[in-house]
Amino acid sequence: MANQIADLLDRPKEYYNVDGVGEMGIGFMTLGYALFGWLNSHAPDGSIWRQMYTLFIFVGVMVSIVHYGSKAIKNRITYPRTGFVDYRPRDKYWIPMGLGAGVSVVISVGVVMGMRRHWDLSMAGPLVGVLIAVAYIRIATTVRWKWAIFGVVLAGSLAVALLPPDVVESFGGLGKSIPAKLEGSFLLTFVLYGAALLISGCVSFWLYLRHTQPPAQEGE
Amino acid sequence: MNQQVRAIADLDRIIHEPGRLMIVALLYAVDRSDFLYLQHETGLNKGTLSSHLSRLEDAGYIEVEKTYRGKTPQTILRLTAPGRKAFEQYRQQVKRAL
Repeated sequence: MANQIADLLDRPKEYYNVDGVGEMGIGFMTLGYALFGWLNSHAPDGSIWRQMYTLFIFVGVMVSIVHYGSKAIKNRITYPRTGFVDYRPRDKYWIPMGLGAGVSVVISVGVVMGMRRHWDLSMAGPLVGVLIAVAYIRIATTVRWKWAIFGVVLAGSLAVALLPPDVVESFGGLGKSIPAKLEGSFLLTFVLYGAALLISGCVSFWLYLRHTQPPAQEGE
Repeated sequence: MNQQVRAIADLDRIIHEPGRLMIVALLYAVDRSDFLYLQHETGLNKGTLSSHLSRLEDAGYIEVEKTYRGKTPQTILRLTAPGRKAFEQYRQQVKRAL
């Protein structure tokens, strides 16, 4: 019985992605970061893509699109069909922000340590990809077909790891601030992960529309 | 009476009913939700759900707010502080009893 209560307590969290909007948002953001990273490393010196303020504007635009886009889909489609949920501030803001900050710190420290100790950093991107795939298991256990997405991210990360180093480096730009093979491996992993999540979110959204009814005119 | 039996006897009967237990557990995990969400998640029909919600409201465990989303009436539900505390106690009692 305690397990059944624990399952019930988890259901509202799963509901956030019932329409695929959560995955679409993360996929869009990840692809956006990959695009910015590529532009930043391939643009000539003095280009706006090499300025720090451009990053803040770019991130601000992406966050606004995801925030207001998600809100519009939820308000117009999801809430009228299967109901409205407002999450607790702890689940809405503090836990995601804490997790994001924690992961960023761990990756940054790992990269700095790797650069100082001259590790082979071409494996950093695929390693992060494998960790992302492992984290995705939580979503895959709730919806069976999403195991395919787990497989794609895992296999894709391994494929990036097996690519010849010069191919990985060619994606990484000039290697002025960070090694080209490190940047290349991260960009490839981000493109793979972002595309997989965006596609998964779109499929979920399509299935949600197929399996739910538009609202009736009567009230409750 | 041994402790396990007493733990079962002391269970909050308002929360212990399966339909109400589902409602309280779902509301515990969120800040607030609407009637349609609870109906969708619990699989209860409108009449049964309304009756359980009235019982929980009478006990002071939930707050009910009638509002509109556009032109559609909407019932917003939120677990009160006593409701939250009662559910936490109920979970502890169930753990002790099992």
